[in-house]
Amino acid sequence: MASRGGGRGRGRGQLTFNMEAVGIGKGDALPPPTLQPSPLFPPLEFRPVPLPSGEEGEYVLALKQELRGAMRQLPYFIRPAVPKRDVERYSDKYQMSGPIDSAIDWNPDWRRLPRELKIRVRKLQKERTTILLPKRPPKTTDDKEETIQKLETLEKKEEEVTSEEDEEKEEEEEKEEEEEEEYDEEEHEEETDYIMSYFDNGEDFGGDSDDNMDEAIY
Amino acid sequence: MTQAEIKLCSLLLKEHFGEIVEKIGVHLIRTGSQPLRVIAHDTGTSLDQVKKALCVLIQHNLVIYQVHKRGVVEYEAQCSRVLRMLRYPRYIYTTKTLYSDTGELIVEELLLNGKMTMSAVVKKVADRLTETMEDGKTMDYAEVSNTFVRLADTHFVQRCPLVPTIENSDLGPPPPAPTLVVNEKDMYLVPKLSLIGKGKRRRSSDEDAAGEPRAKRPKHTTDNKEPIPDDGIYWQANLERFHQHFRDQAIVSAVANRMDQTSSEIVRTMLRMSEITTPSSAPFTQPLSSNEIFRSLPVGYNISKQVLDQYLTLLADDPLEFVGKSGDSGGGMYVINLHKALASLATATLESVVQERFGSRCARIFRLVLQKKHLEQKQVEDFAMIPAKEAKDMLYKMLSENFISLQEIPKTPDHAPSRTFYLYTVNVLSAARMLLHRCYKSIANLIERRQFETKENKRLLEKSQRVEAIIASMQATGAEEAQLQEIEEMITAPERQQLETLKRNVNKLDASEIQVDETIFLLESYIESTMKRQ
Repeated sequence: MASRGGGRGRGRGQLTFNMEAVGIGKGDALPPPTLQPSPLFPPLEFRPVPLPSGEEGEYVLALKQELRGAMRQLPYFIRPAVPKRDVERYSDKYQMSGPIDSAIDWNPDWRRLPRELKIRVRKLQKERTTILLPKRPPKTTDDKEETIQKLETLEKKEEEVTSEEDEEKEEEEEKEEEEEEEYDEEEHEEETDYIMSYFDNGEDFGGDSDDNMDEAIY
Repeated sequence: MTQAEIKLCSLLLKEHFGEIVEKIGVHLIRTGSQPLRVIAHDTGTSLDQVKKALCVLIQHNLVIYQVHKRGVVEYEAQCSRVLRMLRYPRYIYTTKTLYSDTGELIVEELLLNGKMTMSAVVKKVADRLTETMEDGKTMDYAEVSNTFVRLADTHFVQRCPLVPTIENSDLGPPPPAPTLVVNEKDMYLVPKLSLIGKGKRRRSSDEDAAGEPRAKRPKHTTDNKEPIPDDGIYWQANLERFHQHFRDQAIVSAVANRMDQTSSEIVRTMLRMSEITTPSSAPFTQPLSSNEIFRSLPVGYNISKQVLDQYLTLLADDPLEFVGKSGDSGGGMYVINLHKALASLATATLESVVQERFGSRCARIFRLVLQKKHLEQKQVEDFAMIPAKEAKDMLYKMLSENFISLQEIPKTPDHAPSRTFYLYTVNVLSAARMLLHRCYKSIANLIERRQFETKENKRLLEKSQRVEAIIASMQATGAEEAQLQEIEEMITAPERQQLETLKRNVNKLDASEIQVDETIFLLESYIESTMKRQ
């Protein structure tokens, strides 16, 4: 500032304090001025001390790596939703993307959490009941058709989370599926000649369809 | 929160909970307490994602919420609690040494899940232990419960704050968020449960669910049928108690290094006796009489009372002042100076860092200035017996890294520089803070490097995982040696080499993280203890 500008004029290299006091004697060579930032990896003068090894160190190390892996598998690890690609691909059907319906995979104790944090999944269902009732064909007792429809709905369930185009379709499926659950599984079984549990509809290839519908009722 | 801490928190959250939770968490750490909609708006994430992330964070005790006036709920992140995630392996290992595998798994489940009810923990741990046991044996719930009770008695696990039970009638609409109440008395009270059962082994072909469709049934049966007896009582790991244990361990090993095994045993006995009586932040333990100590010594040690008294006197006279004598009644009343012990440990850490970074001559100067408190340039040269030029150089190196600072003492009221004393001094508290900051940066660097290394070799890692999976499945179906050999050769020798190097590097980086975390613990304890005294 002002004084510094003035000092520059008068006597170059004059400092405001006595250099000898901090130990720089007259005529001593000062280190060269730094003209660039220090190097990213400066050379190490002294090698670092070796890390602790031995049973305890190994165990804690293994524990750490295990914990890291375990936490990635827990439901608390939230993966961002896979962005929709330009074309629909066949493999999309068999890939498990994020939790369906944007719900949480685990059940927290809702009494301990603020109410606003509950994700309302029911909203869609309510809308659906008003829209779809006229559309829905009368329920037939044709079990084969039901089975095929159920297959379709479960397949479609494995696709992406609600988007504008798919919304209607999904609403339809989920409504259907909800109604179908009212069937007792045993009853259903008795009506066919085929034992439902032996039937492998190939869904398991892509991963089980998580029946989040059961848990959506909070 | 410093930038270094925020960066480290961000890395930890991303590694353990994913990107969404990381974004929300870091935003909250940066900006303090905020309501839900503001978070969603500022971070640009959808409301649903924010809700999910907040649920996870609250479950793991990383975020707390508060109801403000007009029903607005604000969320606040706890940065220091996020940094504790580095120390999880150490907590689990400590429990293993104290309570063996059962205790280890209990604490691991509690840490991984944030908070759980006792029945849930017992069930899960029993299942996990049963898996590792031989065929036919199962783990009984009672044994796990016993270990849990012991952990609660020694305060290693504690109850979470409770939701108060309110009568709905007169309060009108329920509040937007419960105000959790901390019940001091019952914090370690274990509810009376009669948990009867054995751990279940998880088999690959689900025999229990045979004949029923797989997906829907099992979810219904276990959880909803019986009412859980300890509903609403959640437990969490008590990190403060673990820290107390670590601190005691550090003090005992310091005494063992400085003196001998017997004195460290005496100090350990004293610390154990004051575990429950002294709060963890007290500067001294409660005074203990020499007679009491004599009675409480572990059974194997048969030293006579006189020898014990001699040891105690030696400890009390030691310049490090770990043990102090506070009176003469009962054969001599002794206390452990916790604050002084922590200060010595922190100082020793600083000295060691200076020695490893700058060399032993610098360390000599550093110790000298520490001891003499304030020294002039000339005096340093004389006392340390190091030639002037080198001494100057070293002092300036340490000064530039902020291990040493300059203190000005003016001779005249106008503070003229030619008439001012400049003294070198070590301010332990500020040097400790500086070192702590550097530690945070180091760990962040270590984590970044490890992630970089893993990403570089991602393709190779995936390939090796696939090959292992193929080999495992082939072994299960019974393949010949030749076939297995063929599959193994899918990974070429240079690739194997690369994998070896990668594994070695990652292990080294991980071990370094653990090591730096130990230093962080010492420095943080010292700083905390000093701040509490002021």
